[in-house]
Amino acid sequence: MSGDRGMGETGAARDRVGVDVRQVSLPADHPLAKLSLGAAAVGAVALVAAWALGGPRFYSSYLTAYLFFLTLALGGLVFVLLQFVTRAGWSVAVRRLAEHAMGTLPLFLVLFVPVLLGLGKLYSWAAPLAEAAEAGGEHGALTGSKAFWLQPGFFVARAAVYLVLWSALGWWLRRESIGQDRRPDPGVTRKLQIASAPGLVIFGVTVTLASFDWVMSLDPHWYSTIFGVYVFSGAVVGILALVVLLAVALERRRGPLAGIVTPEHYHDLGKLLFGFVVFWAYIGFSQFMLIWYGNLPEETVWYRHRFEDGWYPVSVAVAVGCFVVPFFFLLGRDVKRHRLTLSAAAIWLLVFHYVDIYWLVMPSALVAGPTPGFSPHWLDLLTLVAVGGLFAGALGRLMVGSALIPVADPRLAESLSFENM
Amino acid sequence: MSVSEAPRVARAGVIPDVDPVEVRPLLVTGDPGFHGVTEAVARPVEWTPPVGWYVVLAISVSMLGLFGVSIGWLLWEGVGVWGNNVPVAWGWPIVNFVFWVGIGHAGTLISAVLFLFRQRWRTSINRAAEAMTLFAVMCALVFPGIHTGRPWVDYWMFPVPNQMSVWPQFRSPLMWDVFAVSIYGLVSLIFWYLGLVPDLATMRDRSKTKIRQVVYGLFALGWRGSARHWLHYERAYLLLAGLATPLVLSVHSVVSFDFAVAQLPGWHTTIFPPYFVAGAIFSGMAMVVTLMVICRVVFKLEHIITMLHFERMARLILAMGSIVGLAYGTEFFVAWFSGNQFEMFTFLNRSGGPYAWAYWIMISCNVLSPQVFWFKKARTSIPVLFAVSIFVNIGMWFERFVIVVTSLHRDFLPSSWDYFTPTFWDVATLVGSFGLFFTMFTLFVRFVPMVAMSELKGVLPEAHGGHHD
Amino acid sequence: MTEARGAVERTPSWDGDRPAVWGALAEFDTPGALLHAAAEVRESGYERFDAHSPFPVHGIERAMRLKRSPVPWFVLVLGLGGAAAGMLLQWWVSTDAYPLVISGKPFFSWPAFVPIMFECGVLGGALGAVFGFLAMARLPRHHHPLFESSRFERMGDDAFFLSIEASDSMFDRQRTPALLSDLGARHVELVELIEPIEPIEPIEPEGAPAERDAAPQGGAA
Repeated sequence: MSGDRGMGETGAARDRVGVDVRQVSLPADHPLAKLSLGAAAVGAVALVAAWALGGPRFYSSYLTAYLFFLTLALGGLVFVLLQFVTRAGWSVAVRRLAEHAMGTLPLFLVLFVPVLLGLGKLYSWAAPLAEAAEAGGEHGALTGSKAFWLQPGFFVARAAVYLVLWSALGWWLRRESIGQDRRPDPGVTRKLQIASAPGLVIFGVTVTLASFDWVMSLDPHWYSTIFGVYVFSGAVVGILALVVLLAVALERRRGPLAGIVTPEHYHDLGKLLFGFVVFWAYIGFSQFMLIWYGNLPEETVWYRHRFEDGWYPVSVAVAVGCFVVPFFFLLGRDVKRHRLTLSAAAIWLLVFHYVDIYWLVMPSALVAGPTPGFSPHWLDLLTLVAVGGLFAGALGRLMVGSALIPVADPRLAESLSFENM
Repeated sequence: MSVSEAPRVARAGVIPDVDPVEVRPLLVTGDPGFHGVTEAVARPVEWTPPVGWYVVLAISVSMLGLFGVSIGWLLWEGVGVWGNNVPVAWGWPIVNFVFWVGIGHAGTLISAVLFLFRQRWRTSINRAAEAMTLFAVMCALVFPGIHTGRPWVDYWMFPVPNQMSVWPQFRSPLMWDVFAVSIYGLVSLIFWYLGLVPDLATMRDRSKTKIRQVVYGLFALGWRGSARHWLHYERAYLLLAGLATPLVLSVHSVVSFDFAVAQLPGWHTTIFPPYFVAGAIFSGMAMVVTLMVICRVVFKLEHIITMLHFERMARLILAMGSIVGLAYGTEFFVAWFSGNQFEMFTFLNRSGGPYAWAYWIMISCNVLSPQVFWFKKARTSIPVLFAVSIFVNIGMWFERFVIVVTSLHRDFLPSSWDYFTPTFWDVATLVGSFGLFFTMFTLFVRFVPMVAMSELKGVLPEAHGGHHD
Repeated sequence: MTEARGAVERTPSWDGDRPAVWGALAEFDTPGALLHAAAEVRESGYERFDAHSPFPVHGIERAMRLKRSPVPWFVLVLGLGGAAAGMLLQWWVSTDAYPLVISGKPFFSWPAFVPIMFECGVLGGALGAVFGFLAMARLPRHHHPLFESSRFERMGDDAFFLSIEASDSMFDRQRTPALLSDLGARHVELVELIEPIEPIEPIEPEGAPAERDAAPQGGAA
């Protein structure tokens, strides 16, 4: 992320294809806008259908889909925070897309309700005591500090705090940024820069704890200190892929972002994508190797659940799909500069980010149930469509409401003209 | 360009020479131009050094002498001259090893990672920071070499055929260390040297004496500044930066594996790799600040290493310190959450047991002292910068001490519990290692241009002014 | 090294009874002027020329139509090779040469072998970068006619140079320096040859592979 300017920029003026920055927005009748409206309708119907028709399996499928899209929204939040704290110039042209993604965070407050309703079915520690002792895993009911931390009341209160903090932060950042469109004022940028640092502190703490609460506690006797970082790294990969796809969708075929988003932006997004794919693999491997090496049964149980009962191929798929293939694919320079190849990589990574979340949630959620093995279910797809449709609908609505780039950001000029090495 | 015109100007794609939000000169003050940069950087290498340089060299060399004596005595008498003993079988040597490796990492961060992020301000400090890395790695490598108990058979750690047909045990993290730290040293050397070639050519062409011309010329490889040279050079430099970045992450992760693969509470925790890397960058940045505060004054480079650089470094120190703080918090929380009595005890023992004094030094130096950098006044005050950088390094040394010693001195078997005390030779070896470091660094600033001239010139406004397409 | 090289003789250092000229050297004030001049020289059809600067001038490879650097391939090949070699070494030592039973871990403990494999890969890549650079830049080369020019000493300081070799087919003792002067050079000189040398590899003209005979001494008379 460039602190001052791109390394290879020129001082000369270079005219972009006659684009009036004031007109850079998504009209309500644009195909993408209409698509998102349709997606929202489909999503709502799917959600009702899944709830009504799905049995106990509904909750774990729903949690997976919920977490997948939530990590995208959270990724948007951290992306925006990072761009402000580093005073980046290159990203201004694409930052608004991430701001729209983070603007969907309040939706996840509402969407958390099914998780709350299914608390007892999802989390063994939330079930009534007798059930917990019998079905809550090899070590029986929780005691002491774990029982204190993982009690439904406290859990729900914390969840509310996380979601409210994220929504508030995301909403405020977005509102300030959009406000700057109408009242150009570098003071807004300064304010957001200053706020982004404590914002990141809040983000770090809440995402760590939320990962522990919502994902790690599916296996309540297990713990891993790096878990929050693992979820975070996946979220960053997810948001980068999403921003790429949004940028491509809006830039190609003389879309609203044509002439604004350039191969330079794709290149930078591609480089970051590559970097975080490697970072994700580093975190994932660190966790795996240390637990494998220490060989303590209370730790290895989590991986055992992911290597038995037909889950082993999924584990391999996660490693290969989230790392090996994208690593070699994104290595070359040109691949990152062309929208076709980069968007292919982005789609692939979004798919495998879902597989990663599935692999985090499902084995632990199902292990105590009647079907512990890997068993893809139509509910998995239906809940994905449900949450995804609503997410797309919210995203579309947010994008129609405001400009697609921060038109008055003082660093916009730099973003439009920088060149890569 | 006024801000209210921003929307129009954005269309034309004009980049102002000055960041539009924080209006201040970007990199070099006083507008020296290319020749001014050459003069400012080359002069300290060509002049007769001030008396102060000789004084510093003398002190460093005597500390280096102490290092030699300590190592000699160790080889003669054995590891018993140190405080290492059961249960704390790893004492100061491993703490010093991790300390020095960690310091080295900031150099690579500045060189490689900031390069990839197109942070042009790195050009004033990257040469000195990379040199610091090389010397820190040298100091680091000494410790595992001498603490093995039988250093004369250290060669068994290398995968070469030997007379006993013994091969290394590759499943040991200590073997991974051998490879990781050596390769880190080698790649850092390669990267540093590649960056140095154009500047050595500059020194060669400026040489007034035959000896200088021959020596600089030899290492300059015949560099002619040709466009073809630059083409391949830039590609190689970019790729080296791209390789050095994961290398930095991996090296300190491998160092953290020394502890994390064990089953000891306080050691066996999955967050160690990124936590150690953040801590390494944290301590290394602080060391860069310490060195630069001194060098810029002595060598009259205040207009090249400016408050802008210190402010950026201060923010990085704050950021890394916060990540380290988050890691401390996570460890503590999970130790409590886990309900594992051994984990919980380790952390209570750290903060309230016999080594609580070390723990609280660590917390106040690492977590509390960088907090002043939330305030711009602190970030731009040389005395504060210098003081905090020293505290951070003290704190980071104590962090490794706390990790190593507190986990070992009270582990699973209470009858083995004991209190570790260092000996005179532990302290002497640590002090001596600083002697090695400062001797090398003092010699470096005397004979090698300490700012990357060609890189710095390349990011001055004059370098792209006059481009008319 | 192109096939055309085989057909090129080393430029002899004497031309009759006076030293032969290696080429023309022009000095410019600013990187912009150098960039402009380099583009013009290329447009005029010269192929054996070079630009010299104390830092890389952005855009000059494009102006000179230099081909992309193949250094990344060195890095890729040696990097993957290094990683493979690292893994192979560990596998062989742990399963065959000196298998040890360590806490019940399998002999081929691949998770434990990843760190060293990675480090060896990075080492291979780094060596590939540096050797690729040296090979492609044809360095070290400690003797070059340009070092005889006293003005060229400012190459590393603040001056920008364009050099055109006499072995270029279009080189002319009068016209080439005149062209350089017209392009805004602050100073133009003819650099003498002290000993026979190989000329620089030409920048290939667009579209045409190196089928033209690089004529040994153009118009140097």
